Amino acid sequence: MSEALIRLEGISKSFGRVRANSNVSLEIVGGRVLALLGENGAGKSTLMSILAGQLRPDSGTVSARGRVLQLTSPEEAIAAGIGMVYQHFKLVEAMTVAENVFLGHRQMLINRRRIEAEVKALASQFGMSVKPSAVIRDLSMGERQQVEILKLLYRRSEVLIFDEPTAVLTPAEAENLFATMRLMLAQGKGIVFISHKLEEVMSVADDIAILRRGEIVDTVPVIEVSSTAELAERMVGRKVLLEVEKKPVEIRQQVLSLHGLGCGERGDGVSFELRQGEILGIVGVAGNGQKELVETVCGLCKPHSGTVRIFGREWGEFFRTAADDPDNTLAWIAEDRQGLATCPSLDLLDNFLLTTRRSFSGGPGKLFLFREEARKRAEYLLKTFDVRPPDLSAAAWQLSGGNLQKMVLAREFYRKPRLIVAEQPTQGLDISAMEEVWKLLLKAREAAGILLVTGDLAEALTLSDRIGVMFDGRLLACFPVEDTVSLAAVPQMMAGICKKSATV
Amino acid sequence: MQLQILKRTRRISFSGAVAVFVSAILLSLLFSGILLSLGGTPAVAGFSTLFKGGFGSRWALEDSVLKAIPIFLCSLGVAVAFRLKVWNIGAEGQYALGAIGATGVALAFPDWPSWAVLPLMALSAACAGGIWGLIPALLRQKMHTNEIIVTLMFNYIAVYLLQYLVLGVWRDPNSHGFAVSAAFSDAAIIGPLSDAASVHWGLVHCIVLGILLLLFFRYTRIGYEIKAAGENMNAARYAGIRVDFLVCLVMAISGGLAGWAGFVEVSATVNQLQPSMLVGYGYTAIVVAWLARLNPAGIAVTSFLLAGLRVGVESLQLDLQVPADFGDILEGSILLMVLAAGLFLEYRIVRKGRT
Repeated sequence: MSEALIRLEGISKSFGRVRANSNVSLEIVGGRVLALLGENGAGKSTLMSILAGQLRPDSGTVSARGRVLQLTSPEEAIAAGIGMVYQHFKLVEAMTVAENVFLGHRQMLINRRRIEAEVKALASQFGMSVKPSAVIRDLSMGERQQVEILKLLYRRSEVLIFDEPTAVLTPAEAENLFATMRLMLAQGKGIVFISHKLEEVMSVADDIAILRRGEIVDTVPVIEVSSTAELAERMVGRKVLLEVEKKPVEIRQQVLSLHGLGCGERGDGVSFELRQGEILGIVGVAGNGQKELVETVCGLCKPHSGTVRIFGREWGEFFRTAADDPDNTLAWIAEDRQGLATCPSLDLLDNFLLTTRRSFSGGPGKLFLFREEARKRAEYLLKTFDVRPPDLSAAAWQLSGGNLQKMVLAREFYRKPRLIVAEQPTQGLDISAMEEVWKLLLKAREAAGILLVTGDLAEALTLSDRIGVMFDGRLLACFPVEDTVSLAAVPQMMAGICKKSATV
Repeated sequence: MQLQILKRTRRISFSGAVAVFVSAILLSLLFSGILLSLGGTPAVAGFSTLFKGGFGSRWALEDSVLKAIPIFLCSLGVAVAFRLKVWNIGAEGQYALGAIGATGVALAFPDWPSWAVLPLMALSAACAGGIWGLIPALLRQKMHTNEIIVTLMFNYIAVYLLQYLVLGVWRDPNSHGFAVSAAFSDAAIIGPLSDAASVHWGLVHCIVLGILLLLFFRYTRIGYEIKAAGENMNAARYAGIRVDFLVCLVMAISGGLAGWAGFVEVSATVNQLQPSMLVGYGYTAIVVAWLARLNPAGIAVTSFLLAGLRVGVESLQLDLQVPADFGDILEGSILLMVLAAGLFLEYRIVRKGRT
């Protein structure tokens, strides 16, 4: 094996009390693809941001060919030969390919023809078809990605990091990308490949590193991995970090029923029922339709196909009347706490009112808002849910992840929901906050049906009464958590291998 | 020495905010003072003339208040839209439509008494301005247009509509060729607060509307929803707030207030419809709204100050022959400096290695 181009040693990075990366060591070797696997929030993007010079590690070093690098800005990372192809392209749409490639060079005079010729030569050298004189806005996603890659090759990057590069590509474009990657490897460049698609990882990668809760739990050459199922198993793990007591609860009326709901591109969809008193844990590798499922059930987007009934009412009817019916409340513990569930720059009282505003309104058309009443109630809730600081005038962004999540739970449970959609509820939380959130969810189960969508199998096993596995927009299986036979098959199912025996 | 910018973890103290604001004003005065001296006018004499002209006498103060009234109402309006991050640049056009709406009523009912014609004029002006604001909102929703561009272009349509009316159907036959409408009946004129004062009852309109708006944001659910949606549109959708409805509502309120300003101006100050009443109050209103950080009380103070600037520049022009455009330069430099100084309210700058 040749010498490593880039070596990361003992990288740790914390945000407040949350450890995003903990003692991570990796080697990126020329001519090889290193795949980085891990759930959302496992610390992949933090690690890559450190490599790309956007974040600085609390401890640990990045070195290139034995020389320690000080990566304090993206320019320094690029100068050190590290380049990143972001998932969301950073291109100027009104400019041509060549202009985008040249952008950022500090040179006074531009010889357009020469740059175009250089870009063209570079593109053909790496099997890319994009025309240097084309304007970005006329290009397909695949071609735009080629421009991103050209930008890095033009700057002589030795290590290229691809963040979910195939997420926006058609299958044919993805094949092109892989061909380009092979040409780069032949030139001795090193590649880091981040993806959730296990099959892709198996076919593209030479080595696989798996991150879980900020730590590298496994580094393995791909030839030692027998199947995508084994990969999935290595990825989700089984180690239960902590135990919480789960009391049996009487299962009562149905609160949610899905029939053939299309999630993602596949139409055959998702069908299940959820009753008051149970937790249904949906597991699966991210990007297999969980987001679409959650956003449809919570009313953010219309069902593509199939039917959704919430509290027995048809989807459209429910969301038209949802605001005026305090007895049939749906609460959504959103994954994106800062961007969706709260307004970061508003204070906690305003954030508390976000979904509870109608309970504190009165007068004609619920025109008036009774802030003082809400203040008293919210103060009490902050104390009972142990949110720190218990200060309603603090802005939401000042709270740690765990406290913000407790605030969101306090708010949502105040509404006495009969259906709760909890999406990655403990992502980014430390162990003690995680335990509190789990206990709160189990308690809420006494009055509500909970749809738990999580990438953490241990969490699903701890909390759920039933487990559902999603793959490629479909629900492959749905079974009671006591069904050990089906449970053993979860990694296979997460990799898309469906067993007939599982009952849907 | 390397500097580092850190986000403030706690809000800046009141005195700190004042210091930041005052230094920004001083910097812009320094900048425009240099421009003045380069133009051959001693900066100190220039600013003292400017200040005396704007605030130095009873007459100057009254004139500043008179000009502050339409600026205040327009600014109150744009601030409502800005709270939702809807960029209404069209106060000037909505103000023109308000003047047109009020004039239509005044000319149609010349015999009506004040208690009937004035409320109807206000209603008509607010509706005309409101609709002028609502159309860009609807276009934004249905056709995904950019409201900045559309509201800006609507200003020109409004200006030409007003000119068309005073040159055509509403032209006063006794105007000796001037493009003006017939003068309003006495009943259609908002009178002065007292016989001795030149300040009119429009000032009371400002106070009442300002307080109503303050109450709207503080005590109503919709006011809260506008604030929350303005901070985080996605969170608003998450919480089931009807954002589309709010966009239409704020644009209608925004246009309605600018329209009301048009009514007050055409009735109390000009007494007839004429193109010369469009002097850019709607654009100054945008500057005022930003300087006051969308706060109604701040808008009151700032519109008075910028109105005083307009009045003061007139004396500067008369006494020292400084071009009137200097007022625009000063207004612009104050805006830029204060906006730039906003950085210091959210962030602090420290030397690297210290915190």
